[in-house]
Amino acid sequence: MFYIHQSSCISAQQTFGTAAIASLQDAVNNRLQVIEPSYEGIPTGILRRMGKAIRMGVGAALPLIKGSVAIDGIIIGTANGGMEDCIKFLNQIIEYDEGMLTPTNFVQSTTNAIAAQIGLLSVNKGYNATHVQRGLAFENALLDAAMLLKENAAASYLVGGVDEISAYNYNIDYLDGWFKKQPLAAKDLYSSNTAGSMAGEGATMFLVNNKPEGAAARVAGLCLLHTGDETLLAAQLELFLKKHLPAGEQIDLLLSGEDGDNRLNKFYDAVESVLDNHAAVARFKHMMGEYATVTAAAVWLAVSVLKNQTVPLHMIKKDAKPSAYQRILISNNHKGRQHSFILVENTR
Amino acid sequence: MGAISAIGSSVTENRMALMQDKCGIGPLELFATRYASLLPFGEIKSTNTFLQEQLKAHEPGLTRTTLLALHAFDEAIADARLSPLQVQEFETALIGATTVGGMCLTDQLYHDANKTEDGSEFLASYDCASVNLYLQKRYGINGIVNTFNTACSSSANAILYGARLIKNGFAERAIVGGVDSLAKFTINGFNSLHILSPDKCTPFDEQRKGLNLGEGAAFLVLEKEENIAGKKRYAELTGYCNTNDAYHASSLSNEGDGPFLAMEGALAQAGLSPADISFINAHGTGTENNDLSESRAMLRLFETVPAFASTKANTGHTLGAAGAIEAVYSILNLVHQEVYASLHFNQAIAATGLQPVQSQKQMPLKHVMSNSFGFGGNCASLIFSKADQ
Repeated sequence: MFYIHQSSCISAQQTFGTAAIASLQDAVNNRLQVIEPSYEGIPTGILRRMGKAIRMGVGAALPLIKGSVAIDGIIIGTANGGMEDCIKFLNQIIEYDEGMLTPTNFVQSTTNAIAAQIGLLSVNKGYNATHVQRGLAFENALLDAAMLLKENAAASYLVGGVDEISAYNYNIDYLDGWFKKQPLAAKDLYSSNTAGSMAGEGATMFLVNNKPEGAAARVAGLCLLHTGDETLLAAQLELFLKKHLPAGEQIDLLLSGEDGDNRLNKFYDAVESVLDNHAAVARFKHMMGEYATVTAAAVWLAVSVLKNQTVPLHMIKKDAKPSAYQRILISNNHKGRQHSFILVENTR
Repeated sequence: MGAISAIGSSVTENRMALMQDKCGIGPLELFATRYASLLPFGEIKSTNTFLQEQLKAHEPGLTRTTLLALHAFDEAIADARLSPLQVQEFETALIGATTVGGMCLTDQLYHDANKTEDGSEFLASYDCASVNLYLQKRYGINGIVNTFNTACSSSANAILYGARLIKNGFAERAIVGGVDSLAKFTINGFNSLHILSPDKCTPFDEQRKGLNLGEGAAFLVLEKEENIAGKKRYAELTGYCNTNDAYHASSLSNEGDGPFLAMEGALAQAGLSPADISFINAHGTGTENNDLSESRAMLRLFETVPAFASTKANTGHTLGAAGAIEAVYSILNLVHQEVYASLHFNQAIAATGLQPVQSQKQMPLKHVMSNSFGFGGNCASLIFSKADQ
């Protein structure tokens, strides 16, 4: 599909700047909140007014937009955008009974504000899109990038996924049963055998184009699916592998989106059953938490594994010790209805 | 095609209203807000209960936004004579757009976001994706499902994304559109920016005072050119372009760079020159900023600005639905070779001298452009061309 040249990830782990993911940063109150950098490069006056989602999104994008490659467009996946600002504005509406309000929170809260701010700061007048299909928002952004690179073969695009934990979306998803009720250490996420997961957030950006030279990895295949049927999911994975795996090649590592919610294990079991014993299995949501665009962080992890040829021990579920990591399959599902497969290949 | 707005609950009703210069903007009757009697709105006069009965949609957690979308979606697939199996084909994509999604339920959201017990039935209904997730489940859609939020250009982007999915081989057919319903969130948001007009909006008028918010939904069925034999066809989507103005979070640049580039890019995509455009359905919100920037961009691009009008004076600004509703209107322009009056226009903007079409009339039309520009500088232009018969 296309090549990843640069990537940047702000997450609950040490992924931004100098990465150090061998040791695990733990959750606080069942939330895996990002380690925020100092955001050098964003003017202080602008930074102060930015909500967290925009701050993280722009912060993760900055190293890429300041680079030497000209960017032809900006494509962001986010389920909720600036949720904190959104509800702040909402609270004012109710608490001041629709009195005169200040527009800052409103303007910041529109979901397209992240892509818009990146466009504004980099004076990018090209393609600018925000995909909001909840658990497939980032995957649709990837698909958009793949199509753009078919349409404009020489172009480069910034593509990313951003979502924040706000007190408000935490409450809403908690009430809806998506977060665990008992406090838990991140390392114990998969062993509780209860419903719900741990909240996460993050901002991950990629610079992508069609040039193999100097690429960090290649996104070789992508599948997006809405279903509640694990049999259909497994059948789709078989078709996906048939289509995208070269003859005789195998998946070396499955990055499984297992999130400790025992209601969703059937989907991940179905996916694992399709793969043969060659594939190692690793998990990432004890690092990143559960959020709608977490697959962006998973792609960042895949790129990191391909580069370093090692998987942090705390991620390993099944250690098959392949001779080398060449092909990584990311499998994710969001709330049991939105599923994706992303195939990431080594280009070295 | 399917459409519902303040001037009609079907494509046919919308066309009749446009032909009769109907303005659907007035006092609120159904939606409760402090501004109900202070500001005019483009409200659809169907209650949620009525819509639920009519649509046979009684699941818990359904919002007005979803109901309006379902209304337009049902009309569109019936008009295209799509069978349930065709809707479920892996090659049928659903691309929607909305800016408020389930946030039309401002008071319930306030409750659920600030409490940790006693959640409402709407917990999974607030985000933008909730609308399409409902349609996906109701119809068992297996193809690509996506939702755009690029503010007021959202559904124009949904339309062009659907076309690109087809062009790039990710779908054979795309059901594309958008929806928004009135919400305290947007009413207070736009009011805080002082861009809501106390009177009915007057697009492109020197004395314009701002926009009126409206609500509505529209869906269109796009079929791949190779597959259209024997099917009803209204028009061809020949050009589209998405750009960013990269000037300000909530206003357009003076010279309208984003709008100019979007219109120019759509022409290039269609292989047309500016003189080929017969008519423009302008974004024309009625705000000081939009109408001036859009006019300047049109003057930059066109040696002679083609006939143009804004239907926002009929429907109000329906935000995430506007691009799709106005795509339907642009197609009606082409199919019936007619243009509709830009209502409430009186005096041209001094700086531009541009006058929109002021009365409904027959007119030979070959290529119609539809503009949508939004907050965050998100601009999109579409070009629809008369279908070869």
